[in-house]
Amino acid sequence: MSAAPSGGGFGIRAAMRALRDAGVHASSDAAPLETRRVADEPPRLEAAAPIEGTRVEARRVHGEPVVGFAAFLDGIQRSRVVAHVGGIGVPIVHGAVASAVRLRTGQRLRTWESPVISQALYAPLGALAPEFAASLMAAAHNSNELRRVIDTEVPAGSHPQEFTARALTAVQRERERAEVSLAESWVARESTPLLIDGGISGAGTAARHPMAIGVVKSHNALYVTGDSVATVLGLREGERSTAVELASPRRRVPVATWYLRLRDHGNRSPFFGLVRVEVAREGEITERADLVSRWLLAERIPVSLPDPRWDVMVYGIRECERYLSSILT
Amino acid sequence: MSIDAKHSPSTPSDERTAPLGRVVATERQPNTPHEFHFWTALDAPVGIGTIVRVETTRAVSGVLPSIYGVVTEGFSYTDVQTPLHDVLGADGEPGASALAPTDRTEIRLYTAAVLRHVPEEPLQPVPMGTVHLASEADVQVALRMDSYVRGEKAQGIPVGLYRAGGTEAAVHLDADFLLGPEAAHLSISGVSGLATKTSAVEWLLSSIFAHFPARKGRVAAVCFNVKGPDLCFLDQPATALDEADRAMYQTLGVPAAPFTDVRYYAPWNARGTQLATLRSNDALQGNVHPLTWGLRETLQYAEVLLNRDDIDAKADALIDFIKERVLDQVFTDAGTLPRAYEVRSFADLEQWFRDLLRALEGANRDVWRTHHIATIRKVRNRLSNISTRCRGLVTDDGSVSDLPFGRFDDRAVYVVDVANLEEDAQDLVFARVVSQLREHLEKRQLGVEHVVVFVDELNKYAPADGQDTYVRKMLLDISERGRYLGLVLFGAQQFRSQVHRRVVGNSGTALFGRMDPDELATPGYQTLAPATKARLATLEKGQLMVRHPHFGQPVFVRFPRPAVLGGREGVERFPQADELSLEEAVTKSLRRLDSSVTLGWVQDAIALAGEGEDDILRARNRTLQARPEDVKAYFKAQLRKRVEPETVGRRGPTPLRVPPNDDPYG
Repeated sequence: MSAAPSGGGFGIRAAMRALRDAGVHASSDAAPLETRRVADEPPRLEAAAPIEGTRVEARRVHGEPVVGFAAFLDGIQRSRVVAHVGGIGVPIVHGAVASAVRLRTGQRLRTWESPVISQALYAPLGALAPEFAASLMAAAHNSNELRRVIDTEVPAGSHPQEFTARALTAVQRERERAEVSLAESWVARESTPLLIDGGISGAGTAARHPMAIGVVKSHNALYVTGDSVATVLGLREGERSTAVELASPRRRVPVATWYLRLRDHGNRSPFFGLVRVEVAREGEITERADLVSRWLLAERIPVSLPDPRWDVMVYGIRECERYLSSILT
Repeated sequence: MSIDAKHSPSTPSDERTAPLGRVVATERQPNTPHEFHFWTALDAPVGIGTIVRVETTRAVSGVLPSIYGVVTEGFSYTDVQTPLHDVLGADGEPGASALAPTDRTEIRLYTAAVLRHVPEEPLQPVPMGTVHLASEADVQVALRMDSYVRGEKAQGIPVGLYRAGGTEAAVHLDADFLLGPEAAHLSISGVSGLATKTSAVEWLLSSIFAHFPARKGRVAAVCFNVKGPDLCFLDQPATALDEADRAMYQTLGVPAAPFTDVRYYAPWNARGTQLATLRSNDALQGNVHPLTWGLRETLQYAEVLLNRDDIDAKADALIDFIKERVLDQVFTDAGTLPRAYEVRSFADLEQWFRDLLRALEGANRDVWRTHHIATIRKVRNRLSNISTRCRGLVTDDGSVSDLPFGRFDDRAVYVVDVANLEEDAQDLVFARVVSQLREHLEKRQLGVEHVVVFVDELNKYAPADGQDTYVRKMLLDISERGRYLGLVLFGAQQFRSQVHRRVVGNSGTALFGRMDPDELATPGYQTLAPATKARLATLEKGQLMVRHPHFGQPVFVRFPRPAVLGGREGVERFPQADELSLEEAVTKSLRRLDSSVTLGWVQDAIALAGEGEDDILRARNRTLQARPEDVKAYFKAQLRKRVEPETVGRRGPTPLRVPPNDDPYG
């Protein structure tokens, strides 16, 4: 994993060279895998135990919005099929990930320490001819920029599209690893709040640290059931829900979470302006949930337009994303 | 960086400054060999006019190129896609934006025009690289001054200081391109009052006098003061110089002192008692001289004073005849005129005309020596009128007090104050003085090898439109051929677009002070970037934009306030002399030659002579012109040389004559 930006040109050229060295005709004109429609898990409702009172209800966030976050963490990924090999056309995928913390100093954002950047080839090595797999790994190893071929471990006989789906998942894991490493570095060295794009339960030591706050923008899973669904979706601007604990077996670390309405949804979707906040399950929650909510409400300006998720995306995260896009060309 | 790559030998070897920007190019906004773009930090000390150096790590033919440019345009924008997004974010409340915890990502993007590539070949588009503030040595290279400001053959004339981002560098003009022979002439433009045109010329003359190499010859300046007191106190020290000005003088190697050798020339006032100049204070009269011309000096440039209707072929022929056959010689025509004539003054000429016409009328003749009597009358009328129209400058009696053509001194300033003359008379002064300068320079007999002629209000004297005048033709001639002679025109004008294009086009160097926005909208300025125009429209006093043949692009400089007393302060500190009586005026004039002359003595002398006012002034003028050892005796002698009164004989009635059909003046 690289710890410094490459100064531009961090792309698939190295992958193309490695494949050429391995005797494969490679092409870089395929669409990014991230743009392909991926079958999501079906939306679901999941019960969670309230940790403020006994039931989920709407609560007015007390106090004016106040600036609290010192930095913003996000990660991005780029992956595309660069070659098809063998009789069934096994896809070889090039994946690049990057993650960065953007530190706010005097209302301006700059990169904290160094961004984490890495790239690799993703291939189901078991589905390739052993000689080709060996030559592919040797070519990647000899490349200063590439270094690795990550085995996506697709069982023989799988659906051909499973190859790219597994590759995409593997790239995603790489990105999460990059994000976690930065989050852990932050909480180890800094003592100010870090806003992380997404949940924090998988964020290693950061998941237990009070300075790591995760903000989830999508709501494929709603952690309320029954009447509480209407309570959450009916939150008004500046209101939050009762905090609940997420401690399902799927989660590595239990965290406290609550919903917060950042913007009035009016006649729009009930999810408009609705985010879910995750913090470490430590200490008194009501006061902390209010304070973190006030921090988030303060981040409503500047807006992140023209990003389509502008209603739930704070500007610091969007800026971080744009920064990463500029270095991961 | 290539192992063998080296910086070009021309690249300054001084300390390499830290980068303040990076070159950037896109397909839609690519770099070219003459323009490039770069971005900087928000607080980078870069602005319009800043000179920068681009360094790259990609060698060409083993040499790392350096590119020098001057910032001509700047852009700033954020990641907000439309203003509406910002409005939405602030809920329509402008104050709310200030509460945003994060400032939007913002860029400072600049466009720079290339000043120089080092090495010059191959000329390629500006490569990607780091951008650095130009150091003093960089500025010299960028403006190609390295070829003429260093070494034994240095011939740089400081025009001002370039200042940007902590860099301060003297900007020099090449003497060969300012005063000839390679190029010459200077044009300075700007709005009245704010552009500091006169101050800039005063400063530049000081700089020329301090730096023009002796090996290139002697240099003097002739300045025409056409309005106000601006040039009336060039020999008096300024009171407004501050430490910053003095530091600038020191940096640029020019003494912060007034001109040491200044001579003023002004015509008499209409009464002839005092010189018509704002420099009339008694304390300053030591170097103020009358400017008066007689018939010979005036007739030579009669064309200046006579308009197209006056000068037709017939009138021209008669004037030529007078110049060739009558003026300054004994003229006789036994068949027509009663006596011999020696025409040396307007008074003599008038007498000659009068006798000639009387003789023709008496003899009932229409034609004299192929000249029709109507033409003779017309020429008489026009020429006689000159001494009235140019009263104070042109004398009836032929006494002459002129600039010291042939005895010009090195580093001297000759100020010709024509501010109080009528327009015609001003034209006559321009025409004659410049023509005399030209003639003497052609013969190498002026006393100096180079003369700077400063003329303000070129809009008026060399207009782009309107009928051709003698003065305009003369200024065109200087601008096109003067550099070979050492005759250099420094012209100032409010609107460069309204000056004849051949005059401004031949100016090798152009200075621009604060400009009028309407003027900047004219086609002559279309090569300037909008930001450069905007800066020109808001330039502070003491700032100039300079165009010079060596400079690839115009550069902005600062110059110190002139070390001479300003016009307004001058008239306050040296108030004008009171209106004098005839006797007081004569006394004052004569005392400059002989301090023992008293008012009582003059009153006695005049009373004893019993002369009229004109005769007394004539005697004074002749005394001033002769500068005799014994002033009193000479003056008295002149008083006695009164013109013999004319004896007019009894004339019979003149028969009524029918004008000929072919005489348009009949």
